[in-house]
Amino acid sequence: MAKETFTEAMAVAKDPQDSKATKPKTSFIGFIADKGIFVFTGILVLTAVLFVDGFASLQNVTDVFHRAAPIGIVALGMTFVVITGNYLDLSVVAQAAAAGVILIAVSNAYNLIIAFAVAFVVAIIFALANGIAVGYFKANAVIVTLATTYIGLGLLRLLSGGSQVFGPADGPIATFGTSKLGPFPYSAVVLVAVTLILTFVLTRTNFGFLIRSFGVNSSATRLAGTNTGLIVIGAFMVTSMAAMFAGFVLAAFSNTAVSNMATGFDFQALAAIIVGGTSVFGGKGSVPRTLLGVVFVSILSNVLVLVQVSYGFQQVAIGSLIVLAVTVDALGRRVSKK
Amino acid sequence: MTNQTVIKVGSTATGFWGKSRTLLARRTEGRAVVLFAIIATFVTVSQPLVFTAYQVTLGRIALIGLVALGLTAVILMGELDLSVASTLAVSGVIAVTVANQTNMAIGVLAALAAGVVVSLINAFFVAIVGINSFIATLGMLFALRGMAFVIADEAPVKLQNTDLGIAFGQPLLGPLTPRIMIFFLIFIAIQIFVSRVKAGREFLAVGGNRQAAYDAGIPVKRRIFTGFIISGVVASIAGIINAVERTSADPTSGSTVLLASFAAAIIGGNYLKGGKGSIIGTLIGAASLGMLQVALTISGVQIPIQEIFIGGILLIAVITDPSSLRAVWGSLSTTFQGIKNSLAK
Repeated sequence: MAKETFTEAMAVAKDPQDSKATKPKTSFIGFIADKGIFVFTGILVLTAVLFVDGFASLQNVTDVFHRAAPIGIVALGMTFVVITGNYLDLSVVAQAAAAGVILIAVSNAYNLIIAFAVAFVVAIIFALANGIAVGYFKANAVIVTLATTYIGLGLLRLLSGGSQVFGPADGPIATFGTSKLGPFPYSAVVLVAVTLILTFVLTRTNFGFLIRSFGVNSSATRLAGTNTGLIVIGAFMVTSMAAMFAGFVLAAFSNTAVSNMATGFDFQALAAIIVGGTSVFGGKGSVPRTLLGVVFVSILSNVLVLVQVSYGFQQVAIGSLIVLAVTVDALGRRVSKK
Repeated sequence: MTNQTVIKVGSTATGFWGKSRTLLARRTEGRAVVLFAIIATFVTVSQPLVFTAYQVTLGRIALIGLVALGLTAVILMGELDLSVASTLAVSGVIAVTVANQTNMAIGVLAALAAGVVVSLINAFFVAIVGINSFIATLGMLFALRGMAFVIADEAPVKLQNTDLGIAFGQPLLGPLTPRIMIFFLIFIAIQIFVSRVKAGREFLAVGGNRQAAYDAGIPVKRRIFTGFIISGVVASIAGIINAVERTSADPTSGSTVLLASFAAAIIGGNYLKGGKGSIIGTLIGAASLGMLQVALTISGVQIPIQEIFIGGILLIAVITDPSSLRAVWGSLSTTFQGIKNSLAK
């Protein structure tokens, strides 16, 4: 805080005429919209440690991260679609489930390499279908991905017979799901690795720069000579890859997979992204913010479970959280425009 | 009302063919009619039972179409109400729970009141706070689903007055069950409201160009409230009908309705950005989907395949939207232009 005030004071000293850009007092709502997630996560963690029995144990904290990993990975990837201003990708529900089922079923029938290859191809087909419809046909992303979800889940249920598939008890998938790197389960390691990779892609590569500039002003990006359709396809591609890895991790947890295992991933991932401070209006946001949002949402649901709140109220809480976070974002945006 | 040719809006085509061509160009139901014709032909050839058992088909159309009708009112304004699926579930649960304790009339009133409250919250976030309606109603979809679970205590609620439920499923007037009659009454009401009443006509203006509508003195925010109330109340009615007809209210109900009703409204030619569309289009869309579903069910097709069919139709409908085709044509022609230019060099 002190550092920021100092920079602002410097700016005022440099250019006293431009009072608007360097208004020394930022508004409360603007502050909450921008930095609120840090404050709220802090408050939540503090409250949980002080008042909730069984929260502050290493076992529970590792467990939180272990369980947050699949949704977290999805959310990290979906951040790209949200930043392009295309709301969200609902079809991650179908994609993650498809990846999980394919991993176990195909590796049972053939081997792990073929399973990876098939899952990869399926992810690319999903990304192309969503990306072309949204990027080139300019169709509404919510409707398109709703349609691809149903097509994907229908096909998956049809091909897998709708039943659960089990991997061999001592296979590599089961080993991955249960083993740890030091005190951290592999799932949490994958979550951190994906965060690092996607942060690099979004902030340090040409593609990431184009994603962000498309989110800020899509027509300017197009007029600057960029093929904007490809950018949208790229954003969906990142989401699909993330959903694929999330499906792998989820399947490895229990060494089983079923077509409805990722139900609710779409909304929970969106909640994490929005709570983290990535704007649904596009252009504003980052991958580490989403990780923080994931941490917030999963600690919140962990606390709700620990204090024995019913499933219904948990859903109410997450839904209200989405609306609340978007309201704060919209109000903050209005303040900054004034 | 002078007959000045200068202020003739639209096309100046004369003669029978010219006039009918402009009439066709102004309508938005084109794709819906084409799809309807294709499905009707396919059904007549392979499953004529769909027409002989028209009562079943009409029931299915009413099931899909009711929510879609309300949704269309919101889509005309360029907004979207994703929360209808959960409004349906919550209303059903409330209607049955209250009816079990008191009587059916109070249950229905309570459920309708819930529908109004939900739509007021939606409209508040969209019109006053200024959140995108996709995201606001997405949050509501989630929150209300949880609410339905809480009220229902996480299990389906049985309607104690089973006689009423059985009577509700029987034909009331000729072959028409109450569900089908309510569906057609609501269709006529919304159709008259949107095409003949000033407030309803203004929906199209709000959807077409919000700033222009505002400048022309249309109370835009009030119209958005009206639209959401229509969609919320209609979803409530659908929830009540479902619960009474099945004599039980399931907090998980409505998730398949969401896809089907969106599909019906979009196939019906309603422009998602607002300003263009019609209730009749939605009716045709719902009729096509209803016939298709009944035909698939009669031929013993599995539920996953039916989902694939409806998902596929929704995808095709949203891609063949005139604005989508224009967008892809635009990007294709710039690409060709680029290739031509580079070849010329």
